[in-house]
Amino acid sequence: MKIAFTTKGAEWTSKMDARFGRTEYFVVYDEETSELKTVDNKDVANEAHGAGPKAVQILSELKADVLITGNGPGEKAGMAMQHTGIECYVGAGDMTMKEAYDAFKTGSLQKF
Amino acid sequence: MKEIVVISGKGGTGKTSITASLAVLGGRDVVVADCDVDAADMHILLQPEIAKSEDFFSGELAVIDQDICTQCGKCFDVCRFDAIDVNDGIHIVNELSCEGCGYCARVCPVDAITNIPLNVGKWHISNTRLNQPFVHAKLGIGADNSGKLVAHVKNIAKEIAEEYERPYVLVDGSPGVGCPVVSSLSGAHFVVLVTEPTVSGLHDLKRVYELVNKFHIKAGCIINKSDLNLEKTNEIIEFLKQENIIHLANLPYNESFTKAMTDCKTIVEVDDNIIKETLEDIWKEIKQIIK
Repeated sequence: MKIAFTTKGAEWTSKMDARFGRTEYFVVYDEETSELKTVDNKDVANEAHGAGPKAVQILSELKADVLITGNGPGEKAGMAMQHTGIECYVGAGDMTMKEAYDAFKTGSLQKF
Repeated sequence: MKEIVVISGKGGTGKTSITASLAVLGGRDVVVADCDVDAADMHILLQPEIAKSEDFFSGELAVIDQDICTQCGKCFDVCRFDAIDVNDGIHIVNELSCEGCGYCARVCPVDAITNIPLNVGKWHISNTRLNQPFVHAKLGIGADNSGKLVAHVKNIAKEIAEEYERPYVLVDGSPGVGCPVVSSLSGAHFVVLVTEPTVSGLHDLKRVYELVNKFHIKAGCIINKSDLNLEKTNEIIEFLKQENIIHLANLPYNESFTKAMTDCKTIVEVDDNIIKETLEDIWKEIKQIIK
């Protein structure tokens, strides 16, 4: 399973970014290969409007199965997300990426 | 560091007056951010001294190079925003109408049109008259607020709060329910909803609360001017109960608000009024909730 995080850095110890569309980075963890892939989200964060739906497109291209984030997507991004089938878990905005992963694994994050 | 965002949905409910009052009560504990950039007015009450200013670019603007342009008119034909003006046969971009979509540049047969980043105004880091860090922005004529600008103002405020170890970032949120509001709310630890007992006050409260709820952010509500329509006030209280929103307080209509404003002060700086005490209690309660 590929798990995506909204983060402020590329390491397991990096802080999560509570924002969805304008997150600093997306980090994708591939559970099968144990690989971490980091995507700088600068271009999307620089959009004046509609950062959320564009971020969904990036996640879709990364073929993420799950997204872990802080508050979750807004109205339009939420609709786009539904169509991609990516499951979204929220409430990890104040954690590190590792803490967020563990919280997801133990089922203590809320499904959006 | 905890982030408190004040929003209202509807304009004119007293959101900024209340935010500025909370800022005064918070004193050196808070970094203040004004994200209501379309009609920024908190600076009137907090009288900041600007320490740093930078240009802000958001969106794009089409520019026609007249040395290359053959005045063929293709750009005029495709523009959906009527943003190409023709003066004496010369095609020029109307900067107020251009949305920067890039359609004109795409159809231009001689590549005379390019999109440049649009300078929409400036953002500032200031010190309020109470010596608090204050992050705000001023838009140019015809420029509009964006999720990007709000995110930027909030990020700067958070960086300052972390650097100077201030426990709270207090955000005057944007109006409505669109992109700037999504951006105002994202990352917040507590939302203060300011409403008034009117039909549109309740309607817009419900609308904006949908968003707050979706983001799973704890919320409390202040009903301002609560004694002007007791029936509506009760209706709002019912709604708060249904949705498990903390009812922070009712603030009765009080002319001291206006009096304070004409002195460029907040109501908590005017002696002998009941509103001051209530707002002090509200600030204490909010701090307790997000502890």
